[in-house]
Amino acid sequence: MDINWAQILLNSVITGSIYLIGAIGLSVTYRLSNFSNFAHAEFITLGAFIGYWVSSQLGWGLLPAFIIAFLLTGTVSLLCYRGIFQPLAKRGASTIHLMIASIAVGFIIRYSIGAGWGWTPQYFLNTWTTYEVGAIRITGLWLLLILVTLTSALTMHFALMRTKLGKAIRASSSNPELAAASGINVNRVILITWFIGAGLAAIAGIFRGASTQVWPMTGWDIILPIFAVVVLGGIGNYHGAIVAAFIIGLTENIGVVALTNLGLATEYRMALAFLIIIITLIVKPQGLAMFFRRA
Amino acid sequence: MSIIPYLLDFVVFVGIFGIMALSLNLEYGFTGLANFGKVAFFLIGAYTYAILSQTGAPFYLCLIASALTSAIGGLLISLPALRLREDYLAIVTLTTGEILRLIVKSEDWIGGGIWGITVSPAIKMTGASPTSKILVNIGLVFICMAICFIIIQLLTHSPYGRVIRAIREDEVAAEALGKNRSKYKAQIFMLGSAMAGIAGGLFAQYLRFIDPYMFLPIVTFTVWIMVLLGGPANNWGALLGAALVQLFDRGTNLIKDYFTLPIDPTNLQYILFGVLIILVLLYRPQGLLKESEIKTEALRSARARGSTAKNREG
Amino acid sequence: MPEEALLKIEKVSKHFGGIYAVNNVSLDIHEGGIWSMVGPNGSGKSTLFNTILGLYKPDEGTISFKGERINNMYPYQIYARGLVNSFQTPRIFHSMTILDNMLVAARGHQGDSMWNSLFMRKKWQKQEEKLIDEALNLLEFVELNRMAFSPAAELSGGQRKLLELAKVLMAKPTLLLLDEPAAGINPVLAKKIFRKLNEISRNGTTFLIIEHRLDLLFEFASWTYVLNKGSIIATGKPKDIVNNPVFYQAYLGEE
Ligand SMILES: Nc1ncnc2c1ncn2[C@@H]1O[C@H](COP(=O)(O)OP(=O)(O)OP(=O)(O)O)[C@@H](O)[C@H]1O
Ligand SMILES: [Mg+2]
Repeated sequence: MDINWAQILLNSVITGSIYLIGAIGLSVTYRLSNFSNFAHAEFITLGAFIGYWVSSQLGWGLLPAFIIAFLLTGTVSLLCYRGIFQPLAKRGASTIHLMIASIAVGFIIRYSIGAGWGWTPQYFLNTWTTYEVGAIRITGLWLLLILVTLTSALTMHFALMRTKLGKAIRASSSNPELAAASGINVNRVILITWFIGAGLAAIAGIFRGASTQVWPMTGWDIILPIFAVVVLGGIGNYHGAIVAAFIIGLTENIGVVALTNLGLATEYRMALAFLIIIITLIVKPQGLAMFFRRA
Repeated sequence: MSIIPYLLDFVVFVGIFGIMALSLNLEYGFTGLANFGKVAFFLIGAYTYAILSQTGAPFYLCLIASALTSAIGGLLISLPALRLREDYLAIVTLTTGEILRLIVKSEDWIGGGIWGITVSPAIKMTGASPTSKILVNIGLVFICMAICFIIIQLLTHSPYGRVIRAIREDEVAAEALGKNRSKYKAQIFMLGSAMAGIAGGLFAQYLRFIDPYMFLPIVTFTVWIMVLLGGPANNWGALLGAALVQLFDRGTNLIKDYFTLPIDPTNLQYILFGVLIILVLLYRPQGLLKESEIKTEALRSARARGSTAKNREG
Repeated sequence: MPEEALLKIEKVSKHFGGIYAVNNVSLDIHEGGIWSMVGPNGSGKSTLFNTILGLYKPDEGTISFKGERINNMYPYQIYARGLVNSFQTPRIFHSMTILDNMLVAARGHQGDSMWNSLFMRKKWQKQEEKLIDEALNLLEFVELNRMAFSPAAELSGGQRKLLELAKVLMAKPTLLLLDEPAAGINPVLAKKIFRKLNEISRNGTTFLIIEHRLDLLFEFASWTYVLNKGSIIATGKPKDIVNNPVFYQAYLGEE
């Protein structure tokens, strides 16, 4: 069989990009707030729906869709944190209780969306031109995705490394007590990461929704690969997540080829990411972070 | 629709989920093992039962096999995962459940893939009325539940129960006091999985048909709500939680039949589920019934002596 | 003195990142009596204890107990051989009653096994009765018996320390390591406790005790090791040690 490696590589970059934007918020909030927020899946879904609503139902175009989805989802995330997770943490809830609470919050959001928009899959109305460059095919949507991912990855990198806020985030995630003692308002840092993280998740949701379908499970469908990125990259490690996202993207895309050749169901490509989660947590829970200084 | 079969159906589900809640309570409530993959063992039990029933095996053999395969599954998964941090264990078990579901979904030869598998009647009841069939199922389910309840009750009110609670509180301290924490955790994981397997078997036996979509992570989450609502580390609490959550489930379903609401009741049901669990965690994190103290005969008599001694002094 | 040391530590080191918490320590503990260890805060005493107990793996060196290498064993295996410790910061099981805390610590309770607890309930009930009596006696000694059936979470800081001590005495160990058992305990009770330990030591339990209170060591300890910055800098009878200038330098810092 003829394998188009260039296309596979490109597809991996595309898959990885969605996972990366989806994963950053989960990774940083997991680290800072000490529990994995399963409702992150619903932030992705919510973003997809808001994007769909603004661009396809209201017909305002994509750019407003991105901005409104980012801001609204970020706000919902802040409300969840301030209204539910923070009070729980203040009452001494355990990690497990917080995780269960996040699943509950996810339910509320997911089924509210289901009540509002219904469970029949919806599709973005945009049409995308397909470009052919040599052996590879790429749609306008993918080009946009790559552009957005690159811009946000670079912005985040410089923000983390150069700005005061970035340094505060890094300090808080490597040692919250020390950060607080040295005058950083850790609480404010946490609020900001919950906002931005969910905003980015919303962007990932729009891309995912525009390339597949929009329905209440849009986020849950990809939450485990996103977990794989978080875990493999090292919880709270930004640079680790970047590398991990593309590893997971590659695994999935090469996996599909390998599985087809082995005569196995392509559904198993998800299982590969799941196995990566399990193996990383058991063998090396700090993930790729061992190669990076804390960021 | 007549109310009687509906009520009986409710009772069957209380029993099946009662077993699930009891077993999660053993794992999480008493031992502190956050198993987010409960549904995986439910699935193993159900598929084992279904496949074995088609060979004509009697129900008790099918049930025993369900317990065994789930226990083995529990052991295999627990061995590498036992020294993990609690949140990592949660993620690993959740993921394992999804892998398992993916496998039964993709491999048609196991249980018919997405088309599911029918369960042969392992209990011969030709000619019986539907109601008496449900009654037989109720009997079977509640006998199994009673056995699980007694086993867990005996176990948790014994020196063994003391050890697993110590492991839950501070596993390093428990190990420094000579307890092989990995061994205890593996045992609990096996026993809990075996019970979940039995629940899965009963589920298959009652429904007579299973498919992969019955084993979504939501099943796990429902069992968690039961345990957290009823009260972790209290076996009566687990049963109470199972009954209340089922009642809640049925209640919202009934509403669907009798009222017209502006919002789809299924969505409303899950939204209320979410609200309920958050309220419980915020305002009653210990659940409805509080943790039961360890009771052994020796402790009881010591306590009695203690109080008489105090009375004499006073 | 018997030829072979009960506990033999040879060239043991343990570091955390760049800090050598324990640095090339060798020492012998022989059977009988109360042995002690002193040293300034942060000198590595607790780290050494935790390394002996198998909670930390030593980076270098060997540890043997009764002639058997134990430095690759799990803590529960070391405990089973009769080497037990109490923690400096008490690690008690908060939601369990004080009496249950004591009973967890008992060594060789037959009901600890799943099979026995389910099917041989008669077998361990008798044993449990005896253990409860022992536990109540020990609790009476540390003045906690009136609270035996209350949750351990209700104890004060000092009382937690007392429970930590009482609970390891339940194990009837061959060698018992105590990490500052008298810290936070009122002086009268502290003295009473040391007298009791002394009495127990005559019945076959050897003690190695970390203690900052020199007066107690003068009275009860037969031998002492001085640890500073992870290394043993002096050893001898407590009375002689205090006259050793090295000892003062360690406590007062470099002059
Ligand atoms: N888990 C750990 N991680 C990193 N450093 C540690 C750890 N435990 C101890 N240390 C360091 O090792 C050194 C020795 O600590 P240790 O607790 O053994 O002292 P100590 O002699 O028991 O002091 P104290 O008398 O105050 O109890 C200290 O510098 C401490 O900061
Ligand atoms: Mg110390």
